[in-house]
Amino acid sequence: MECNRAVTLLEPYLDKELDRAEARELEDHVDGCADCRAALTRLDTLRVALRDRSLRHAAPAALRERIAAAAGSADAPVPVSPAAAAPRRHRTAAPAWWRMAAAFVLTFAAGGAFVHLWNSGKADDESALIARDLFASHWRALAAASPVDVVSTDRHTVKPWFAGKVAQAPLVQDFADQGFPLVGGRIDYVGTQRVPVLVYRHGQHLIDVFVLPQGAGSAEMRPAARLGYSLDPLILGAQPAAVVSDMDQQELVKFAQLIAARSGDGKDAAH
Amino acid sequence: MSGVAANAWVGELAQRHLDAAYNLGRWLLGNDQDAADAVHDAYLRAARAAHTYAGGNARAWWLAIVRNCCLTMLSTRGREKPLDDETAALPRTAANEVEERVDAAQSHARIAEHLRALPTEFREALVLREFEDLSYREIADVLGVPIGTVMSRLSRGRALLQRALESPAREISSGM
Repeated sequence: MECNRAVTLLEPYLDKELDRAEARELEDHVDGCADCRAALTRLDTLRVALRDRSLRHAAPAALRERIAAAAGSADAPVPVSPAAAAPRRHRTAAPAWWRMAAAFVLTFAAGGAFVHLWNSGKADDESALIARDLFASHWRALAAASPVDVVSTDRHTVKPWFAGKVAQAPLVQDFADQGFPLVGGRIDYVGTQRVPVLVYRHGQHLIDVFVLPQGAGSAEMRPAARLGYSLDPLILGAQPAAVVSDMDQQELVKFAQLIAARSGDGKDAAH
Repeated sequence: MSGVAANAWVGELAQRHLDAAYNLGRWLLGNDQDAADAVHDAYLRAARAAHTYAGGNARAWWLAIVRNCCLTMLSTRGREKPLDDETAALPRTAANEVEERVDAAQSHARIAEHLRALPTEFREALVLREFEDLSYREIADVLGVPIGTVMSRLSRGRALLQRALESPAREISSGM
């Protein structure tokens, strides 16, 4: 590689925009070229200086509250009971003390159960984060031009598509006969993990079934509801999963039963 | 998509990338109040325009709206007015040519000062790349320019910064 070409690749190299072959070629050149090595070092010095955290401005709490109030959403999943939908205005301030107060009340009621509550509180935080990601993913899919990456009503197309993209391809079933046809699948992120999503349709409702990785709060998922959308945990095959949709409770139970019946482990689906 | 889902989606998107939005606004506008107002405007605009989102990178879509609101504010405000420029008050050291000896706080202040002094087009590209870790593709989407333009702006911006930060006696030898 010539110097004049290498010089143009130094920045894309640091920005991780070169493919492996190009990066290797550039590294070979830089190894033997003191000028380019010096230029790379200077660029790297500038990058380290620029990436100092003190230069990045974090959003002030007041702005965060303004946006949260305007969005009318809460960070914590809301219990399914309709009574919880009313006091939306107070929700942004509520969770921190609310959870504590609830814990104290329960402790007095149950006596001695504090340690248990404390631990399950931590698991709740994990699963609340997962729930947040799942709702976000569902809304994003609804907003996108197409909610699926692979369009197919044939489970024999969907499963192999997943096989090349995630460690464990999920159990793919079609319930067209029961009124819940398979639409396709996509890959989405929960936290930093790639997870397969099976997409079904029921009338006008789009149904996402997220197949979750084992552990990290997946097992502690609880039913949640936000803005008319609900989330329900279930078991798909042997893997934890969660259904997100805007179906009503009756349809959701029916769908969960279909999945549980075919999953073969005989357990109650919406535990 | 339904209005409820659109609002929920935009609300979640804005809150997830609020630091990125605010940081971009803060570096474009130069003060806290304007940055917060621009981000708030951007949220309202995004909620109204949710139906125009045609897939693709949602963070880039959101930051593009934030940037547009900032540019609108810049043009109505006339020019940048750093109201709370905390670093401007720092003493200018006579030892600028001895970068290594300048202590960390002062060196950050100098970088901030020189970054602020860059023309907007270079500054915004660098902020998106270095602070928010956006890829060239994402920066191109936010700025609405081709990737080649992103690369040349980053390169020019970095060269200008290096020149400003390094000793005036030394020449830029890398040819960028």
